[in-house]
Amino acid sequence: MTSEAASADHARTATAANAPETTDRTFWGRIVNWSPYRALVGLVYATPRRQFLILAVFPVLWVLTQHLGPMLQMARISLLDAYPPSPGVAPNFTFDNYARFFGESIFWMPFIRSLTFAATLSFATLIITYPVAYFLARHVSRNNRMFLLLLLLIPFWVGEIVRTYAIMILLGNNGAINLMLKWFGLIDRPIPFMYTGFSLSVGIIYLTALYMLLPLYSALEKLPKSYTEAAADLGAGAWTRFRRVTLPLTLEGIASGCTLVFLISTGFYATPVLLGGPSTTVFAETIAGFFHVAGDQWPTGAAFATIMFLTALVLTAVFNRLINALRKGETK
Amino acid sequence: MTRATRIFMSVIYWAFVVYVFVPLILMVVMGFKDSKFIGFPIRSWTLDWYTGVFSDTETLSVFGYSVVIAIASTAVSIFVGTWIAVLLDGRKFMGRAVIFGLTILPALVPGIISAIAFRIYARLLGIEPGMFAIIWSHAVHNVPFVTLVVIARLSTLPKSYTEAARDLGADPFVAFARVTLPYLMPAVIGASIFCLLLSFDDFVRSFFLGSYDPTLPVLIFAKLRSGMSPEINAIATVALVITAVLGIWAERSTRRLNKENA
Repeated sequence: MTSEAASADHARTATAANAPETTDRTFWGRIVNWSPYRALVGLVYATPRRQFLILAVFPVLWVLTQHLGPMLQMARISLLDAYPPSPGVAPNFTFDNYARFFGESIFWMPFIRSLTFAATLSFATLIITYPVAYFLARHVSRNNRMFLLLLLLIPFWVGEIVRTYAIMILLGNNGAINLMLKWFGLIDRPIPFMYTGFSLSVGIIYLTALYMLLPLYSALEKLPKSYTEAAADLGAGAWTRFRRVTLPLTLEGIASGCTLVFLISTGFYATPVLLGGPSTTVFAETIAGFFHVAGDQWPTGAAFATIMFLTALVLTAVFNRLINALRKGETK
Repeated sequence: MTRATRIFMSVIYWAFVVYVFVPLILMVVMGFKDSKFIGFPIRSWTLDWYTGVFSDTETLSVFGYSVVIAIASTAVSIFVGTWIAVLLDGRKFMGRAVIFGLTILPALVPGIISAIAFRIYARLLGIEPGMFAIIWSHAVHNVPFVTLVVIARLSTLPKSYTEAARDLGADPFVAFARVTLPYLMPAVIGASIFCLLLSFDDFVRSFFLGSYDPTLPVLIFAKLRSGMSPEINAIATVALVITAVLGIWAERSTRRLNKENA
Protein backbone atom coordinates (compact mmCIF):
# COMPACT_ATOMS: atom_id res chain seq x y z
CA MET A 1 0.00 0.00 0.00
CA THR A 2 1.41 3.41 -0.94
CA SER A 3 1.68 6.03 1.72
CA GLU A 4 -0.94 8.19 0.01
CA ALA A 5 -3.49 5.42 0.04
CA ALA A 6 -2.63 4.63 3.62
CA SER A 7 -3.28 8.18 4.77
CA ALA A 8 -6.55 8.34 2.85
CA ASP A 9 -7.55 5.11 4.51
CA HIS A 10 -6.62 6.51 7.90
CA ALA A 11 -8.65 9.67 7.26
CA ARG A 12 -11.71 7.59 6.40
CA THR A 13 -11.55 5.55 9.61
CA ALA A 14 -11.05 8.75 11.57
CA THR A 15 -14.20 10.41 10.20
CA ALA A 16 -16.19 7.24 10.68
CA ALA A 17 -15.09 7.08 14.30
CA ASN A 18 -15.89 10.74 14.96
CA ALA A 19 -19.29 10.65 13.32
CA PRO A 20 -22.38 10.07 15.45
CA GLU A 21 -23.57 6.49 15.47
CA THR A 22 -26.79 7.07 13.53
CA THR A 23 -25.04 8.60 10.50
CA ASP A 24 -24.88 6.23 7.56
CA ARG A 25 -22.65 7.61 4.83
CA THR A 26 -23.92 5.36 2.06
CA PHE A 27 -26.11 6.71 -0.74
CA TRP A 28 -29.28 5.30 0.78
CA GLY A 29 -28.18 6.27 4.28
CA ARG A 30 -27.87 9.89 3.23
CA ILE A 31 -31.28 9.89 1.60
CA VAL A 32 -32.99 8.21 4.53
CA ASN A 33 -31.48 10.66 7.00
CA TRP A 34 -32.20 13.73 4.90
CA SER A 35 -34.87 15.64 6.82
CA PRO A 36 -37.16 16.62 3.87
CA TYR A 37 -37.25 12.94 2.89
CA ARG A 38 -38.17 11.92 6.43
CA ALA A 39 -40.92 14.51 6.54
CA LEU A 40 -42.28 13.28 3.19
CA VAL A 41 -42.20 9.63 4.28
CA GLY A 42 -43.94 10.53 7.53
CA LEU A 43 -46.64 12.31 5.56
CA VAL A 44 -47.14 9.62 2.91
CA TYR A 45 -47.01 6.58 5.14
CA ALA A 46 -48.93 8.03 8.09
CA THR A 47 -51.81 5.58 7.65
CA PRO A 48 -52.23 2.56 5.35
CA ARG A 49 -55.25 4.29 3.85
CA ARG A 50 -53.30 7.40 2.90
CA GLN A 51 -50.47 5.26 1.56
CA PHE A 52 -52.92 3.41 -0.67
CA LEU A 53 -54.57 6.59 -1.90
CA ILE A 54 -51.26 8.15 -2.88
CA LEU A 55 -50.27 4.96 -4.69
CA ALA A 56 -53.61 4.73 -6.47
CA VAL A 57 -54.22 8.32 -7.57
CA PHE A 58 -51.77 8.43 -10.46
CA PRO A 59 -52.65 5.06 -12.08
CA VAL A 60 -56.38 5.72 -11.79
CA LEU A 61 -56.07 9.17 -13.36
CA TRP A 62 -53.80 7.77 -16.07
CA VAL A 63 -56.08 4.94 -17.18
CA LEU A 64 -59.15 7.17 -17.11
CA THR A 65 -57.63 10.06 -19.06
CA GLN A 66 -55.19 8.21 -21.33
CA HIS A 67 -56.70 4.77 -21.90
CA LEU A 68 -60.44 5.42 -21.66
CA GLY A 69 -60.35 9.09 -22.71
CA PRO A 70 -59.47 8.58 -26.39
CA MET A 71 -62.24 6.00 -26.83
CA LEU A 72 -64.83 8.22 -25.12
CA GLN A 73 -63.85 11.28 -27.12
CA MET A 74 -64.09 9.23 -30.32
CA ALA A 75 -67.59 8.08 -29.32
CA ARG A 76 -68.58 11.67 -28.47
CA ILE A 77 -67.39 13.09 -31.77
CA SER A 78 -69.24 10.36 -33.64
CA LEU A 79 -72.49 11.92 -32.36
CA LEU A 80 -71.69 15.49 -33.49
CA ASP A 81 -72.82 17.03 -36.76
CA ALA A 82 -69.55 18.91 -37.22
CA TYR A 83 -66.05 18.61 -35.82
CA PRO A 84 -63.89 20.49 -35.27
CA PRO A 85 -66.63 23.01 -34.40
CA SER A 86 -66.63 26.16 -36.47
CA PRO A 87 -66.12 29.26 -34.30
CA GLY A 88 -69.32 30.58 -32.82
CA VAL A 89 -71.46 27.60 -33.81
CA ALA A 90 -72.22 24.97 -31.20
CA PRO A 91 -72.29 21.46 -32.74
CA ASN A 92 -75.53 19.52 -32.47
CA PHE A 93 -75.96 15.91 -31.44
CA THR A 94 -77.08 13.63 -34.24
CA PHE A 95 -77.18 9.98 -35.29
CA ASP A 96 -76.67 10.87 -38.96
CA ASN A 97 -73.10 9.58 -38.98
CA TYR A 98 -74.32 6.14 -37.98
CA ALA A 99 -77.20 6.31 -40.45
CA ARG A 100 -74.69 7.03 -43.23
CA PHE A 101 -73.07 3.66 -42.61
CA PHE A 102 -76.22 1.67 -43.28
CA GLY A 103 -77.25 3.88 -46.17
CA GLU A 104 -74.49 3.12 -48.66
CA SER A 105 -73.06 -0.20 -49.71
CA ILE A 106 -69.59 1.30 -50.33
CA PHE A 107 -69.50 1.65 -46.53
CA TRP A 108 -70.97 -1.57 -45.22
CA MET A 109 -69.55 -3.86 -47.91
CA PRO A 110 -65.94 -3.31 -46.70
CA PHE A 111 -67.22 -3.77 -43.15
CA ILE A 112 -68.69 -7.20 -43.93
CA ARG A 113 -65.56 -8.03 -45.92
CA SER A 114 -63.29 -7.08 -43.01
CA LEU A 115 -65.20 -9.27 -40.57
CA THR A 116 -65.35 -12.23 -42.97
CA PHE A 117 -61.67 -11.88 -43.75
CA ALA A 118 -60.75 -11.70 -40.09
CA ALA A 119 -62.87 -14.73 -39.17
CA THR A 120 -61.66 -16.86 -42.10
CA LEU A 121 -58.05 -15.92 -41.53
CA SER A 122 -58.32 -16.72 -37.81
CA PHE A 123 -59.51 -20.17 -38.74
CA ALA A 124 -56.84 -20.65 -41.41
CA THR A 125 -54.11 -19.51 -39.01
CA LEU A 126 -55.42 -21.96 -36.42
CA ILE A 127 -55.22 -24.87 -38.88
CA ILE A 128 -51.70 -23.88 -39.98
CA THR A 129 -50.17 -23.25 -36.56
CA TYR A 130 -51.81 -26.01 -34.51
CA PRO A 131 -49.51 -28.79 -35.81
CA VAL A 132 -46.50 -26.52 -35.33
CA ALA A 133 -47.46 -25.75 -31.73
CA TYR A 134 -48.22 -29.43 -31.16
CA PHE A 135 -44.84 -30.47 -32.48
CA LEU A 136 -43.02 -27.93 -30.30
CA ALA A 137 -44.92 -28.71 -27.11
CA ARG A 138 -45.13 -32.48 -27.34
CA HIS A 139 -42.45 -33.88 -29.63
CA VAL A 140 -39.41 -31.77 -28.85
CA SER A 141 -37.19 -32.30 -25.84
CA ARG A 142 -37.12 -29.52 -23.29
CA ASN A 143 -33.60 -28.41 -24.23
CA ASN A 144 -34.30 -27.98 -27.92
CA ARG A 145 -37.71 -26.44 -27.35
CA MET A 146 -36.49 -22.94 -26.45
CA PHE A 147 -34.20 -22.85 -29.46
CA LEU A 148 -36.86 -24.01 -31.90
CA LEU A 149 -39.37 -21.55 -30.45
CA LEU A 150 -36.85 -18.70 -30.63
CA LEU A 151 -36.21 -19.54 -34.26
CA LEU A 152 -39.87 -18.80 -34.97
CA LEU A 153 -39.92 -15.67 -32.80
CA ILE A 154 -37.13 -13.82 -34.61
CA PRO A 155 -39.04 -13.08 -37.83
CA PHE A 156 -41.99 -11.87 -35.79
CA TRP A 157 -40.01 -9.09 -34.15
CA VAL A 158 -39.69 -7.52 -37.58
CA GLY A 159 -42.27 -4.80 -38.15
CA GLU A 160 -45.54 -4.88 -40.05
CA ILE A 161 -44.33 -2.82 -43.02
CA VAL A 162 -41.09 -4.71 -43.56
CA ARG A 163 -42.84 -8.07 -43.48
CA THR A 164 -45.59 -6.84 -45.80
CA TYR A 165 -42.91 -5.75 -48.25
CA ALA A 166 -41.28 -9.17 -48.00
CA ILE A 167 -44.57 -10.75 -49.07
CA MET A 168 -44.78 -8.32 -52.01
CA ILE A 169 -41.40 -9.55 -53.22
CA LEU A 170 -42.45 -13.16 -52.77
CA LEU A 171 -45.73 -12.88 -54.68
CA GLY A 172 -45.03 -10.22 -57.33
CA ASN A 173 -45.19 -10.92 -61.06
CA ASN A 174 -41.40 -11.13 -61.04
CA GLY A 175 -41.48 -12.60 -57.57
CA ALA A 176 -39.91 -15.76 -56.25
CA ILE A 177 -42.98 -17.97 -56.61
CA ASN A 178 -43.69 -17.02 -60.21
CA LEU A 179 -40.02 -17.48 -61.05
CA MET A 180 -40.02 -20.97 -59.56
CA LEU A 181 -43.20 -21.96 -61.36
CA LYS A 182 -41.64 -20.75 -64.62
CA TRP A 183 -38.48 -22.74 -63.97
CA PHE A 184 -40.46 -25.90 -63.48
CA GLY A 185 -42.30 -25.14 -66.69
CA LEU A 186 -45.69 -25.05 -64.99
CA ILE A 187 -46.64 -21.63 -66.33
CA ASP A 188 -45.74 -19.42 -69.31
CA ARG A 189 -46.98 -16.12 -68.01
CA PRO A 190 -46.77 -15.05 -64.36
CA ILE A 191 -49.85 -15.62 -62.23
CA PRO A 192 -51.10 -12.25 -60.88
CA PHE A 193 -51.09 -13.07 -57.17
CA MET A 194 -50.71 -9.48 -56.03
CA TYR A 195 -53.55 -7.05 -55.19
CA THR A 196 -56.03 -9.85 -54.64
CA GLY A 197 -57.70 -11.47 -51.66
CA PHE A 198 -55.07 -14.18 -51.90
CA SER A 199 -52.05 -11.88 -51.47
CA LEU A 200 -53.81 -10.04 -48.66
CA SER A 201 -54.58 -13.33 -46.88
CA VAL A 202 -51.01 -14.60 -47.21
CA GLY A 203 -49.77 -11.29 -45.80
CA ILE A 204 -52.14 -11.21 -42.84
CA ILE A 205 -51.50 -14.85 -41.91
CA TYR A 206 -47.78 -14.10 -42.11
CA LEU A 207 -48.22 -11.15 -39.76
CA THR A 208 -50.49 -12.79 -37.19
CA ALA A 209 -49.36 -16.44 -37.03
CA LEU A 210 -47.35 -15.89 -33.85
CA TYR A 211 -50.36 -14.57 -31.92
CA MET A 212 -52.04 -17.89 -32.61
CA LEU A 213 -48.95 -20.03 -32.11
CA LEU A 214 -48.03 -18.81 -28.62
CA PRO A 215 -51.41 -19.38 -26.86
CA LEU A 216 -51.70 -22.80 -28.53
CA TYR A 217 -48.19 -23.69 -27.49
CA SER A 218 -48.74 -22.76 -23.85
CA ALA A 219 -52.07 -24.65 -23.74
CA LEU A 220 -50.47 -27.76 -25.25
CA GLU A 221 -47.46 -27.53 -22.99
CA LYS A 222 -49.69 -27.49 -19.89
CA LEU A 223 -51.50 -30.64 -21.01
CA PRO A 224 -49.93 -33.64 -19.19
CA LYS A 225 -48.71 -36.42 -21.49
CA SER A 226 -50.30 -38.99 -19.16
CA TYR A 227 -53.78 -37.91 -20.33
CA THR A 228 -53.27 -39.03 -23.91
CA GLU A 229 -51.32 -42.07 -22.72
CA ALA A 230 -54.25 -43.08 -20.52
CA ALA A 231 -56.59 -42.68 -23.48
CA ALA A 232 -54.26 -44.84 -25.57
CA ASP A 233 -54.23 -47.52 -22.84
CA LEU A 234 -58.01 -47.51 -22.91
CA GLY A 235 -57.86 -48.29 -26.59
CA ALA A 236 -58.41 -44.89 -28.19
CA GLY A 237 -56.85 -44.41 -31.61
CA ALA A 238 -54.81 -41.36 -32.59
CA TRP A 239 -57.78 -39.46 -34.03
CA THR A 240 -60.03 -40.24 -31.06
CA ARG A 241 -57.28 -39.20 -28.62
CA PHE A 242 -56.94 -35.91 -30.45
CA ARG A 243 -60.67 -35.25 -30.73
CA ARG A 244 -61.69 -36.39 -27.24
CA VAL A 245 -58.67 -35.38 -25.14
CA THR A 246 -56.21 -32.95 -26.73
CA LEU A 247 -58.66 -30.72 -28.58
CA PRO A 248 -61.15 -30.15 -25.71
CA LEU A 249 -58.35 -29.47 -23.25
CA THR A 250 -56.69 -26.88 -25.50
CA LEU A 251 -59.91 -25.01 -26.31
CA GLU A 252 -58.83 -22.18 -24.03
CA GLY A 253 -55.67 -21.62 -26.06
CA ILE A 254 -57.65 -21.82 -29.28
CA ALA A 255 -60.09 -19.21 -27.97
CA SER A 256 -57.41 -16.71 -26.96
CA GLY A 257 -55.43 -17.27 -30.16
CA CYS A 258 -58.47 -16.72 -32.36
CA THR A 259 -59.52 -13.64 -30.37
CA LEU A 260 -56.08 -12.07 -30.74
CA VAL A 261 -55.77 -12.82 -34.44
CA PHE A 262 -59.31 -11.58 -35.11
CA LEU A 263 -58.82 -8.27 -33.29
CA ILE A 264 -55.37 -7.67 -34.77
CA SER A 265 -56.31 -8.49 -38.34
CA THR A 266 -59.34 -6.19 -38.31
CA GLY A 267 -56.96 -3.37 -37.31
CA PHE A 268 -54.43 -3.64 -40.14
CA TYR A 269 -54.29 -0.60 -42.36
CA ALA A 270 -50.96 -0.59 -44.25
CA THR A 271 -51.10 -4.26 -45.22
CA PRO A 272 -54.44 -4.03 -47.11
CA VAL A 273 -53.26 -0.81 -48.76
CA LEU A 274 -50.05 -2.46 -50.01
CA LEU A 275 -51.18 -6.04 -50.67
CA GLY A 276 -54.85 -5.62 -51.51
CA GLY A 277 -56.59 -4.21 -54.53
CA PRO A 278 -59.81 -2.38 -55.38
CA SER A 279 -61.82 -5.57 -54.88
CA THR A 280 -60.47 -6.12 -51.37
CA THR A 281 -61.04 -2.72 -49.75
CA VAL A 282 -61.35 -3.39 -46.04
CA PHE A 283 -63.08 -1.26 -43.43
CA ALA A 284 -59.81 0.06 -42.02
CA GLU A 285 -59.20 1.79 -45.36
CA THR A 286 -62.74 3.20 -45.35
CA ILE A 287 -62.23 4.64 -41.87
CA ALA A 288 -58.81 6.05 -42.72
CA GLY A 289 -60.31 7.78 -45.77
CA PHE A 290 -62.27 10.14 -43.52
CA PHE A 291 -59.09 11.29 -41.79
CA HIS A 292 -57.04 12.03 -44.90
CA VAL A 293 -59.34 14.79 -46.07
CA ALA A 294 -60.26 17.99 -44.25
CA GLY A 295 -61.42 17.71 -40.65
CA ASP A 296 -65.14 17.96 -41.34
CA GLN A 297 -65.31 14.21 -42.08
CA TRP A 298 -64.05 13.27 -38.62
CA PRO A 299 -67.47 12.59 -37.06
CA THR A 300 -68.32 10.03 -39.75
CA GLY A 301 -64.92 8.38 -39.39
CA ALA A 302 -65.34 8.28 -35.63
CA ALA A 303 -68.82 6.74 -35.97
CA PHE A 304 -67.49 4.06 -38.31
CA ALA A 305 -64.59 3.27 -36.00
CA THR A 306 -66.99 3.00 -33.07
CA ILE A 307 -69.22 0.61 -35.03
CA MET A 308 -66.22 -1.54 -35.89
CA PHE A 309 -64.81 -1.59 -32.36
CA LEU A 310 -68.13 -2.50 -30.75
CA THR A 311 -68.85 -5.20 -33.34
CA ALA A 312 -65.40 -6.72 -32.91
CA LEU A 313 -65.81 -6.72 -29.11
CA VAL A 314 -69.30 -8.27 -29.23
CA LEU A 315 -68.21 -10.94 -31.73
CA THR A 316 -65.17 -11.96 -29.70
CA ALA A 317 -67.23 -12.00 -26.50
CA VAL A 318 -69.86 -14.25 -28.12
CA PHE A 319 -67.12 -16.47 -29.52
CA ASN A 320 -65.48 -16.86 -26.12
CA ARG A 321 -68.87 -17.64 -24.55
CA LEU A 322 -69.45 -20.37 -27.12
CA ILE A 323 -66.04 -21.89 -26.52
CA ASN A 324 -66.67 -21.81 -22.77
CA ALA A 325 -70.00 -23.58 -23.18
CA LEU A 326 -68.28 -26.13 -25.40
CA ARG A 327 -65.60 -26.73 -22.78
CA LYS A 328 -68.18 -27.30 -20.04
CA GLY A 329 -70.10 -29.67 -22.31
CA GLU A 330 -67.00 -31.67 -23.13
CA THR A 331 -65.80 -32.10 -19.57
CA LYS A 332 -69.19 -33.21 -18.25
CA MET B 1 -46.49 -41.75 -30.87
CA THR B 2 -45.49 -43.55 -34.00
CA ARG B 3 -42.34 -42.78 -35.95
CA ALA B 4 -44.30 -41.75 -39.02
CA THR B 5 -46.33 -39.06 -37.22
CA ARG B 6 -43.20 -37.76 -35.54
CA ILE B 7 -41.49 -37.30 -38.89
CA PHE B 8 -44.64 -35.83 -40.38
CA MET B 9 -44.90 -33.27 -37.55
CA SER B 10 -41.28 -32.24 -37.84
CA VAL B 11 -41.71 -31.75 -41.58
CA ILE B 12 -44.63 -29.41 -40.85
CA TYR B 13 -42.54 -27.50 -38.33
CA TRP B 14 -39.63 -27.01 -40.72
CA ALA B 15 -42.00 -26.08 -43.53
CA PHE B 16 -43.37 -23.38 -41.23
CA VAL B 17 -39.85 -22.17 -40.46
CA VAL B 18 -39.19 -21.92 -44.20
CA TYR B 19 -42.47 -20.03 -44.63
CA VAL B 20 -41.57 -17.40 -42.02
CA PHE B 21 -37.93 -17.00 -43.07
CA VAL B 22 -37.98 -17.20 -46.86
CA PRO B 23 -39.80 -13.90 -47.56
CA LEU B 24 -37.39 -12.03 -45.31
CA ILE B 25 -34.33 -13.71 -46.81
CA LEU B 26 -35.56 -12.88 -50.32
CA MET B 27 -36.01 -9.29 -49.25
CA VAL B 28 -32.47 -9.08 -47.92
CA VAL B 29 -31.03 -10.71 -51.05
CA MET B 30 -32.96 -8.39 -53.35
CA GLY B 31 -31.15 -5.44 -51.76
CA PHE B 32 -27.98 -6.64 -53.52
CA LYS B 33 -29.50 -6.57 -57.00
CA ASP B 34 -27.68 -4.33 -59.48
CA SER B 35 -30.79 -2.96 -61.15
CA LYS B 36 -33.54 -0.49 -60.40
CA PHE B 37 -36.23 -3.09 -60.87
CA ILE B 38 -37.37 -5.47 -58.20
CA GLY B 39 -37.80 -9.02 -59.39
CA PHE B 40 -36.08 -12.28 -60.04
CA PRO B 41 -33.77 -13.50 -61.45
CA ILE B 42 -30.85 -11.46 -60.14
CA ARG B 43 -28.10 -11.36 -62.78
CA SER B 44 -25.58 -8.93 -61.33
CA TRP B 45 -24.91 -7.91 -57.77
CA THR B 46 -23.94 -4.69 -56.03
CA LEU B 47 -23.40 -3.26 -52.56
CA ASP B 48 -24.43 0.23 -53.67
CA TRP B 49 -27.93 0.13 -52.19
CA TYR B 50 -26.62 -0.77 -48.77
CA THR B 51 -23.80 1.78 -48.79
CA GLY B 52 -26.39 4.25 -50.06
CA VAL B 53 -28.42 3.85 -46.86
CA PHE B 54 -25.47 4.85 -44.70
CA SER B 55 -24.42 7.81 -46.87
CA ASP B 56 -27.92 9.25 -47.26
CA THR B 57 -28.30 11.82 -44.49
CA GLU B 58 -32.07 11.91 -44.87
CA THR B 59 -32.45 8.18 -44.21
CA LEU B 60 -30.02 8.38 -41.31
CA SER B 61 -31.95 11.21 -39.70
CA VAL B 62 -35.16 9.17 -40.05
CA PHE B 63 -33.40 6.33 -38.23
CA GLY B 64 -32.41 8.74 -35.48
CA TYR B 65 -35.94 10.15 -35.26
CA SER B 66 -37.42 6.65 -34.85
CA VAL B 67 -34.86 5.71 -32.21
CA VAL B 68 -35.52 8.87 -30.16
CA ILE B 69 -39.27 8.22 -30.30
CA ALA B 70 -38.77 4.59 -29.27
CA ILE B 71 -36.57 5.47 -26.28
CA ALA B 72 -38.75 8.32 -25.02
CA SER B 73 -42.02 6.39 -25.31
CA THR B 74 -40.47 3.32 -23.66
CA ALA B 75 -39.29 5.38 -20.68
CA VAL B 76 -42.85 6.66 -20.10
CA SER B 77 -44.45 3.23 -20.60
CA ILE B 78 -42.06 1.57 -18.17
CA PHE B 79 -42.66 4.18 -15.49
CA VAL B 80 -46.45 4.13 -15.77
CA GLY B 81 -46.79 0.40 -16.44
CA THR B 82 -44.68 -0.56 -13.43
CA TRP B 83 -46.59 1.83 -11.18
CA ILE B 84 -49.92 0.30 -12.24
CA ALA B 85 -48.51 -3.21 -11.71
CA VAL B 86 -47.42 -2.32 -8.16
CA LEU B 87 -50.89 -0.96 -7.42
CA LEU B 88 -52.66 -4.03 -8.79
CA ASP B 89 -50.38 -6.70 -7.33
CA GLY B 90 -51.65 -8.56 -4.29
CA ARG B 91 -54.22 -5.95 -3.28
CA LYS B 92 -57.94 -6.34 -3.12
CA PHE B 93 -59.88 -3.11 -3.46
CA MET B 94 -63.09 -1.86 -4.95
CA GLY B 95 -62.78 -1.34 -8.68
CA ARG B 96 -59.59 -3.36 -9.06
CA ALA B 97 -61.06 -5.37 -11.93
CA VAL B 98 -62.14 -2.13 -13.64
CA ILE B 99 -58.65 -0.63 -13.33
CA PHE B 100 -57.14 -3.83 -14.67
CA GLY B 101 -59.55 -3.89 -17.62
CA LEU B 102 -58.84 -0.25 -18.46
CA THR B 103 -55.10 -0.89 -18.22
CA ILE B 104 -55.35 -3.66 -20.83
CA LEU B 105 -57.73 -1.70 -23.09
CA PRO B 106 -55.13 -0.06 -25.41
CA ALA B 107 -53.72 -3.49 -26.26
CA LEU B 108 -57.13 -4.78 -27.35
CA VAL B 109 -58.17 -1.89 -29.59
CA PRO B 110 -57.48 -2.82 -33.25
CA GLY B 111 -54.64 -0.76 -34.77
CA ILE B 112 -56.54 1.59 -37.05
CA ILE B 113 -59.14 2.43 -34.38
CA SER B 114 -56.44 3.03 -31.80
CA ALA B 115 -54.63 5.38 -34.20
CA ILE B 116 -57.64 7.53 -35.03
CA ALA B 117 -58.83 7.60 -31.41
CA PHE B 118 -55.39 8.96 -30.45
CA ARG B 119 -55.55 11.41 -33.35
CA ILE B 120 -58.92 12.74 -32.14
CA TYR B 121 -57.84 12.88 -28.51
CA ALA B 122 -54.58 14.63 -29.40
CA ARG B 123 -56.66 17.43 -30.86
CA LEU B 124 -58.71 17.66 -27.67
CA LEU B 125 -55.52 17.86 -25.60
CA GLY B 126 -54.07 20.42 -28.00
CA ILE B 127 -51.17 18.19 -29.08
CA GLU B 128 -50.11 19.03 -32.63
CA PRO B 129 -49.23 16.09 -34.91
CA GLY B 130 -45.50 15.48 -34.71
CA MET B 131 -42.83 13.90 -32.60
CA PHE B 132 -44.46 14.54 -29.24
CA ALA B 133 -47.81 13.17 -30.41
CA ILE B 134 -46.16 9.97 -31.68
CA ILE B 135 -44.23 9.51 -28.43
CA TRP B 136 -47.42 10.01 -26.44
CA SER B 137 -49.47 7.52 -28.46
CA HIS B 138 -46.73 4.88 -28.39
CA ALA B 139 -46.31 5.36 -24.65
CA VAL B 140 -50.02 4.88 -23.92
CA HIS B 141 -50.30 1.95 -26.31
CA ASN B 142 -47.36 0.11 -24.72
CA VAL B 143 -48.36 0.51 -21.06
CA PRO B 144 -50.49 -2.71 -20.96
CA PHE B 145 -47.57 -4.87 -22.10
CA VAL B 146 -45.33 -3.46 -19.36
CA THR B 147 -47.99 -3.98 -16.69
CA LEU B 148 -48.64 -7.58 -17.75
CA VAL B 149 -44.94 -8.52 -17.77
CA VAL B 150 -44.14 -6.75 -14.48
CA ILE B 151 -47.21 -8.06 -12.65
CA ALA B 152 -46.28 -11.63 -13.62
CA ARG B 153 -42.85 -11.12 -12.09
CA LEU B 154 -44.23 -9.34 -9.01
CA SER B 155 -46.53 -12.25 -8.24
CA THR B 156 -43.48 -14.49 -7.79
CA LEU B 157 -41.79 -12.16 -5.27
CA PRO B 158 -41.98 -13.85 -1.85
CA LYS B 159 -43.71 -11.57 0.63
CA SER B 160 -41.02 -12.35 3.20
CA TYR B 161 -38.45 -10.35 1.18
CA THR B 162 -40.12 -6.98 1.66
CA GLU B 163 -41.27 -7.92 5.17
CA ALA B 164 -37.67 -8.64 6.13
CA ALA B 165 -36.62 -5.26 4.78
CA ARG B 166 -39.37 -3.56 6.77
CA ASP B 167 -38.35 -5.45 9.95
CA LEU B 168 -34.81 -4.20 9.47
CA GLY B 169 -36.11 -0.64 9.53
CA ALA B 170 -36.62 0.22 5.88
CA ASP B 171 -39.60 2.45 5.16
CA PRO B 172 -41.94 1.20 2.39
CA PHE B 173 -40.29 3.38 -0.24
CA VAL B 174 -36.78 2.16 0.57
CA ALA B 175 -38.04 -1.42 0.70
CA PHE B 176 -39.52 -0.91 -2.77
CA ALA B 177 -36.41 0.71 -4.22
CA ARG B 178 -33.90 -1.71 -2.74
CA VAL B 179 -35.79 -5.02 -2.64
CA THR B 180 -38.78 -5.01 -5.01
CA LEU B 181 -37.22 -2.99 -7.84
CA PRO B 182 -34.02 -5.08 -8.16
CA TYR B 183 -36.19 -8.20 -8.15
CA LEU B 184 -38.26 -6.72 -10.99
CA MET B 185 -35.25 -5.86 -13.15
CA PRO B 186 -35.47 -8.88 -15.53
CA ALA B 187 -39.12 -8.06 -16.20
CA VAL B 188 -38.39 -4.36 -16.62
CA ILE B 189 -35.55 -5.02 -19.06
CA GLY B 190 -37.61 -7.51 -21.03
CA ALA B 191 -40.57 -5.12 -21.16
CA SER B 192 -38.29 -2.23 -22.21
CA ILE B 193 -36.93 -4.10 -25.20
CA PHE B 194 -40.42 -5.19 -26.13
CA CYS B 195 -41.63 -1.57 -26.00
CA LEU B 196 -38.63 -0.37 -28.02
CA LEU B 197 -39.45 -2.93 -30.71
CA LEU B 198 -43.17 -2.10 -30.70
CA SER B 199 -42.47 1.60 -31.03
CA PHE B 200 -39.69 1.25 -33.61
CA ASP B 201 -41.88 -0.99 -35.80
CA ASP B 202 -45.17 0.82 -35.30
CA PHE B 203 -46.72 2.14 -38.47
CA VAL B 204 -50.34 3.02 -37.97
CA ARG B 205 -49.99 5.38 -34.97
CA SER B 206 -46.85 7.02 -36.37
CA PHE B 207 -48.68 7.51 -39.68
CA PHE B 208 -51.78 9.19 -38.25
CA LEU B 209 -50.07 11.22 -35.52
CA GLY B 210 -46.97 12.27 -37.44
CA SER B 211 -46.39 15.51 -39.28
CA TYR B 212 -44.10 15.77 -42.32
CA ASP B 213 -41.17 14.01 -40.63
CA PRO B 214 -41.63 10.27 -41.18
CA THR B 215 -40.55 7.51 -38.83
CA LEU B 216 -38.79 4.57 -40.46
CA PRO B 217 -41.88 2.42 -41.19
CA VAL B 218 -43.71 5.50 -42.50
CA LEU B 219 -40.75 6.30 -44.78
CA ILE B 220 -40.72 2.74 -46.15
CA PHE B 221 -44.49 2.90 -46.69
CA ALA B 222 -44.23 6.22 -48.54
CA LYS B 223 -41.42 4.93 -50.75
CA LEU B 224 -43.36 1.71 -51.46
CA ARG B 225 -46.37 3.68 -52.64
CA SER B 226 -44.24 5.38 -55.27
CA GLY B 227 -42.77 2.07 -56.44
CA MET B 228 -40.60 -0.83 -55.34
CA SER B 229 -36.82 -0.41 -55.52
CA PRO B 230 -33.80 -2.23 -54.06
CA GLU B 231 -33.16 0.95 -52.09
CA ILE B 232 -36.22 0.09 -49.97
CA ASN B 233 -34.87 -3.43 -49.49
CA ALA B 234 -31.65 -2.03 -48.11
CA ILE B 235 -33.45 0.33 -45.70
CA ALA B 236 -35.85 -2.41 -44.59
CA THR B 237 -32.95 -4.82 -44.09
CA VAL B 238 -31.16 -2.39 -41.80
CA ALA B 239 -34.40 -2.03 -39.79
CA LEU B 240 -34.73 -5.82 -39.74
CA VAL B 241 -31.19 -6.29 -38.44
CA ILE B 242 -31.73 -3.72 -35.69
CA THR B 243 -34.94 -5.39 -34.50
CA ALA B 244 -33.56 -8.92 -34.70
CA VAL B 245 -30.41 -8.02 -32.75
CA LEU B 246 -32.45 -6.18 -30.10
CA GLY B 247 -34.83 -9.11 -29.81
CA ILE B 248 -32.16 -11.77 -29.47
CA TRP B 249 -30.25 -9.68 -26.99
CA ALA B 250 -33.41 -9.17 -24.91
CA GLU B 251 -34.17 -12.86 -24.96
CA ARG B 252 -30.67 -13.71 -23.77
CA SER B 253 -30.39 -11.04 -21.11
CA THR B 254 -33.78 -11.74 -19.55
CA ARG B 255 -33.09 -15.45 -19.46
CA ARG B 256 -29.71 -14.89 -17.78
CA LEU B 257 -31.20 -12.52 -15.21
CA ASN B 258 -34.06 -14.93 -14.57
CA LYS B 259 -31.55 -17.68 -13.87
CA GLU B 260 -29.54 -15.51 -11.49
CA ASN B 261 -32.60 -14.53 -9.49
CA ALA B 262 -34.24 -17.93 -9.50
